[in-house]
Amino acid sequence: MTDSPHSMSRRQVIRHGAWFGAAVGLAVAGGEVISHAAGTAQAKQIPSRPTLRFAQVSDSHIGFTGKANPDVVGSFSQAIGRINNLGHAPDFVIHTGDLTHLATPAQFDQVKQMMGALHTPHVFTVPGEHDSIDDAGQKYLSAFGRGTRGDGWYSFDIAGVHVIALVNTLNLKKLGHLGVEQLDFLAADVAPLPSDTPVIVFSHIPLFAMYPDWGWATDDATQALSYLRRFSSVTCLNGHVHQVFAKTEGNVTFYSGTTTAYPLPHPGDGPAPKPLTLPAGKLHDALGIREVSYVRGHQALALKENTLQ
Amino acid sequence: MTYLIRIFFAATLAVSGLSHAYLYVHGYQHIPMIGSAFVTQAGTSLALAVLILAGGPGWLRWAAAVMSGGALVAFALSRTVGLFGFSERGWQPSPHAVISVAAELLTVGLWLAWVMLNRQPLRRRNKNVTLRRRLANPGANEKSSVR
Repeated sequence: MTDSPHSMSRRQVIRHGAWFGAAVGLAVAGGEVISHAAGTAQAKQIPSRPTLRFAQVSDSHIGFTGKANPDVVGSFSQAIGRINNLGHAPDFVIHTGDLTHLATPAQFDQVKQMMGALHTPHVFTVPGEHDSIDDAGQKYLSAFGRGTRGDGWYSFDIAGVHVIALVNTLNLKKLGHLGVEQLDFLAADVAPLPSDTPVIVFSHIPLFAMYPDWGWATDDATQALSYLRRFSSVTCLNGHVHQVFAKTEGNVTFYSGTTTAYPLPHPGDGPAPKPLTLPAGKLHDALGIREVSYVRGHQALALKENTLQ
Repeated sequence: MTYLIRIFFAATLAVSGLSHAYLYVHGYQHIPMIGSAFVTQAGTSLALAVLILAGGPGWLRWAAAVMSGGALVAFALSRTVGLFGFSERGWQPSPHAVISVAAELLTVGLWLAWVMLNRQPLRRRNKNVTLRRRLANPGANEKSSVR
């Protein structure tokens, strides 16, 4: 055993084993201490419950019929059930667009009825491009546009948080587009707010350049974000891309949510973002809802992704 | 010299580990996959720092280099194609991104320096082992050298 200059004696093996054990033990202990510190730091600031809790659901595509998900109504019902069983009633639920697949009155009616089963005081929506296929969003506005401004945008305040819903799907060329009127609304809307107000922005198409070649960006988002840069915490939530994705740019964090209908490929995988048919039993891993909570005094929102599995 | 390298190794690993731990505690814990990766990196870095400072074997330095190299690759991915669906821009979050990258580059640099320093003595050590063996059993060594 000791003939070769590279071979180890039994004593050396034991010694190295001890060092390895110490390395693993210390790494685990270190990780535990850090996790505990994170838990304690959070517990210090968290009162009995977060200041604001809401759920995001997206891209239900009611009316879609295809191999990628032959039962979008069933999976959307499952998503609603998941929200209703979070263990608390969310302060509101936001649907970030593509409620329907073909924007027919029957599909709008069906999705509206289904969302009526949500155990929450408020349901908010923004339209996706599938909700405004042939009429620039008129049927969407008839069904969900009450209390909104312009082409369906609006804002509200809840638990000290300013929430803004933007519409970037009605004047699509290749990328999402907000337009001058909506940008003016946004500038005026945030102007009176103090800079320490937490801001949450909803839109269907991402406000960041996730993958412009597939239209996964908004061409005038830079202008919109320039009005929000002064705020210490800005969280932008979107749908459209049918997958979870996160990105930070300074004080602005972007989170793309997944879908309840069918997955799309990762950016650049293949020529176009076409519905993916997953192997049997895997679809519900790719579908889900998002739980979001905000604690006063925290900069970041806490997000929890829940699959429909 | 080796002692100094050990101290520097421990310092750079500790800085990178603490930086990741700070970010984990202050928000990154909530990002799926990235949170777990941050706490793993922090725990492992701090453990390696302690053990290298305590005079642990050379493979701990290799482990430190692999981990720091991995962290640098992960940083590059998060600024380009994304990592587990997570992406950030430039040197955000400031100043922790700069501090971590600098510490990890230094760790890899120290590992390279340590490898270079140990190359010569290793060859000499092997020569010494061969020489000792030749002296102990001259016949067998001649045979093996002919082969």
